[in-house]
Amino acid sequence: MAPKPSKASKAQPKAPEPIKEYPNIAAFHQATYENSRPYHKPLASLSATEKTHYAYARLLETGIWKSWDEFQRKDFWKYIETNKIPVPLPEPKDLGRDRNGRDISKYSVKEYEEYQKRERGLEGLVRESTRFRDRQRRLRRSGRAGEDIEGEIEEERNRRKLIGVLRGKKMGRYEEDPEWDDVVPIAQDDGEGALAQIAYTEEYSEAMSYLRAVMSTQEKTPRVIALTSHIISLNPAHYTVWLYRASTLFAINFPIHAEIEWVNDIALDNQKNYQIWHHRQLLVDHLYQEIKDDEAKLKELEDSERAFMTEMFDADAKNYHVWSYRQYLVRKLNLWNQAEIESIEVLLKKDVRNNSAWSHRFFVVFNDPKHCTEGSPATAHDPKIPDNILDREIEFAKAATFEAPQNQSPWNYLRGVLCKGGRDLSSLELFAAEFVKEGKDGAEEDVRSSHALDSLADIWAKTDVEKAKWALELLGNKYDRIRKGYWDWKIGQLMDQPVNTLEGNLEALKV
Amino acid sequence: MSSNNTSDASSATASSTSSRLNNSSYGTQPRQTGFIIEELSSESESYPIAGYSNNMTTTTQTAKIPDIFTTLPPVRDLLNTQTSLLQDQTVQECLPFHLNNLGLPINPHGLPHLDRKRHIAFLHKNLRRLPAAFTAADASRPWMFYWALAGLATMGESLEDYTERLLSTVKPIQHPDGGFGGGNGQMSHLAPTYAVLLSLVMVAGGDVSEDERREVLELVNRRAMWKWLGRLKQRDGGFQMSVGGEEDVRGAYCAMVIITLLDLPLDLPVDSPARSDECTTFLSGLPEWVARCQTFEGGISGRPDAEAHGAYAFCALACLCIIDDPHIVIPKYLDVPRLISWLSARQYAPEGGFAGRTNKLVDGCYSHWVGGCWPLLEACLEGPTTASTTKASSTDSLYSREGLIRYILSCCQDQGKRGGLRDKPSHNSDSYHTCYVLAGLSSAQHKWRFNAPARSSTERPETLSSAYQWTSEFLFDEEQIFDEEDRVLTLHPVFVIPEGIAEQTRAYFASKIGF
Repeated sequence: MAPKPSKASKAQPKAPEPIKEYPNIAAFHQATYENSRPYHKPLASLSATEKTHYAYARLLETGIWKSWDEFQRKDFWKYIETNKIPVPLPEPKDLGRDRNGRDISKYSVKEYEEYQKRERGLEGLVRESTRFRDRQRRLRRSGRAGEDIEGEIEEERNRRKLIGVLRGKKMGRYEEDPEWDDVVPIAQDDGEGALAQIAYTEEYSEAMSYLRAVMSTQEKTPRVIALTSHIISLNPAHYTVWLYRASTLFAINFPIHAEIEWVNDIALDNQKNYQIWHHRQLLVDHLYQEIKDDEAKLKELEDSERAFMTEMFDADAKNYHVWSYRQYLVRKLNLWNQAEIESIEVLLKKDVRNNSAWSHRFFVVFNDPKHCTEGSPATAHDPKIPDNILDREIEFAKAATFEAPQNQSPWNYLRGVLCKGGRDLSSLELFAAEFVKEGKDGAEEDVRSSHALDSLADIWAKTDVEKAKWALELLGNKYDRIRKGYWDWKIGQLMDQPVNTLEGNLEALKV
Repeated sequence: MSSNNTSDASSATASSTSSRLNNSSYGTQPRQTGFIIEELSSESESYPIAGYSNNMTTTTQTAKIPDIFTTLPPVRDLLNTQTSLLQDQTVQECLPFHLNNLGLPINPHGLPHLDRKRHIAFLHKNLRRLPAAFTAADASRPWMFYWALAGLATMGESLEDYTERLLSTVKPIQHPDGGFGGGNGQMSHLAPTYAVLLSLVMVAGGDVSEDERREVLELVNRRAMWKWLGRLKQRDGGFQMSVGGEEDVRGAYCAMVIITLLDLPLDLPVDSPARSDECTTFLSGLPEWVARCQTFEGGISGRPDAEAHGAYAFCALACLCIIDDPHIVIPKYLDVPRLISWLSARQYAPEGGFAGRTNKLVDGCYSHWVGGCWPLLEACLEGPTTASTTKASSTDSLYSREGLIRYILSCCQDQGKRGGLRDKPSHNSDSYHTCYVLAGLSSAQHKWRFNAPARSSTERPETLSSAYQWTSEFLFDEEQIFDEEDRVLTLHPVFVIPEGIAEQTRAYFASKIGF
């Protein structure tokens, strides 16, 4: 019977005595290694027998005996067993580092045993997991993906969690989830030496890789909603994600109200985000189609949207995106109503200088189809506007002006209203003069509003050029010096133009 | 009163953002896509002047700083609201910088020098690898190329070293269906497309070989771009920013810049959803749509019905100035006196800089968005320059160039190690502000002329030639407040890239037959 090489193990030195403590696994390996080579010493120090043993040990190490015939091998092994010549072990290799970067050679003997056990367990799990994937792939290929027993997926999910734990590194959220196995993530191609490359977190990178993959197949399913929610939570300023999410929502008839609720939280946390408001607009467009004939539901939407915007305005009452959305909403839901105007008045009561609120009021009042010409530009006269509305708006702005005469918003508003109503600016003369006292008899003038002075300059330009010039010079030299170039230009205009312009004459005829 | 809550909430968001950015020690704030307009209203941060010595230099006391920049405005209301509190706070924040008691070297007009070295280093740094905090900028990375490259070019830096890297960076960003997205695999969007195109054009316009120039410019798939733009065009005349995205004035401006620079056909592709009997070209209904954005205040809003805003005003005017000559197209579609009145009111004293909207705060970026409107409006008022036109003096300026230059040099420069330019002293510098503050400085330092076209006055330009008739002049003032060493290079008033490059790019594409 041919001696089996496994016999050699019998000849190996016994594991070092348990009594002996090794500081770490590397020391243990080193000792084992050295123990396996008792004759590897300077030849001169060996006895004749030892020299022979050494020769046998060398033959063992080179493996040359494998080429011998059976008899020779038998003799060879007999000698080795009789003399208990140990099989020389190879020099211990560097064990490297573990997943936490720890030097494995520093492990204690026990730790190393556990480590190896873990690794073996891990290998088994990975093999299982690979089998699962193969099975799923086959099922998918034969169009039977749905047949799978629920328990198996759950089991696989747990298996991957365990793999993650054993590896000491969690798998990516999508890599770990068997539900995403059919998607091959597409890594980001940044180009070589890319400029301003961003060191993304692994979480973001992975999620984006899956998004690229689902977009490439135009997949629109509920899991895409979950994926986009995840990405938006990491980077809400991502138009592609928002647009793809919207098209997915509509494709799978996702409940719009639930989406609006979800968006609310994101919006409150991301005051300066652009995309949210366009997304919301798409949602309302969609929802409107569903509920346009249901008055109660429309009213409900109006109220909840207004309430939400009020909440947004608590943080920033001049948020441009929210206001733009609001203008959209007024047109969409026909909010040309008292509630809309009152809700702006609340904001103006808090801060009469909130120009966004003034601007919105102008929009609501002067685009109401009940009394406005459709499509009349904001800067143009609209003859359809009734006098009582013009009067109301003029009074509203005047009252606000008294609160803070140097607040430009109501002054701009007043001019806008007069223009809309085709009324002459001179109708404002007495009012503006309230804030500009010309110093009589050499006394110094008293100006409480540079905007009043500006208005007066424009009024006087048509009636009293000298006075207009006085006002403009006062603005340029004293009350609004930073705009001197502009005031000087206006003085130049004054001199160039005849006092009674054609426009002025027409205005006069109207009155 | 609940305005207190308002202030608390906004400052909380602001400071959390700022601390995150401070930690990164990098320049740019993560920004959203298409952000040409956003104002961060983190208005209540305290400003980082700690670390500066408070020693008054002797020159400070003798420097000529007009009192308009050192004293409160003459007319002030007693009523306090959130707006006035923030405004007062901003004034208090700027005054020490105007007085220049920070111990910095200043010129005889009390202005610190432009710290080119640091600003240049800052922008280079912004093109390097950025930490994860910049993930928020993932969809607007091309802006970072444009802001940094344009800023560097404005300060006279060569962009040559970036040519290769820019090419390999933007290749994976181009979408096979036309246009560029914010990054690889993202949908195409007009803002990054504008930013990529201008970046490419800037490096191609530098000191490169003919072959390199061709390689850079040919990277753009013009036919696909044309088709994609056809999908963005809307029946009402405007443009969406991306397919299914929002429609606003930025879209109108970005689309026109792309169309004219690449010399794309003006006809809408046959499959353009906007195409109808009335809408046959990219220009159909476009200036009329822009006109609908003028508000009762005289300024321009992002889309019809919204509030007048400085950034949209620039987009609107520049868009019109691509369509036709400024003195023809601006008065045709906009109420010019009201626009000028509103625009002029955007400049505040003592700060000196521009605000974006009525009753909002000054912000360095409006040095360009509002400041950049002035050359276009001045050309509109002056008409085309002919051989007989006299040289203008600074008194012709409709705004205070001195105010703007003072705000920029005194308040917008980060004079610390970080470098870069900023919104206002309480804010960190970023590449967005660095780019547009420098653009504003450039426009304040020069006078632009729109030269009489070769064609007769009745003949209308058919191939969008209007934007290629601009030339700049040095503006020599009797009392120039900045030193010559602080003069930056000129940027084209419509395209906002170094002067001369737009013409060269246009000529390159115009010489090609077909796509």
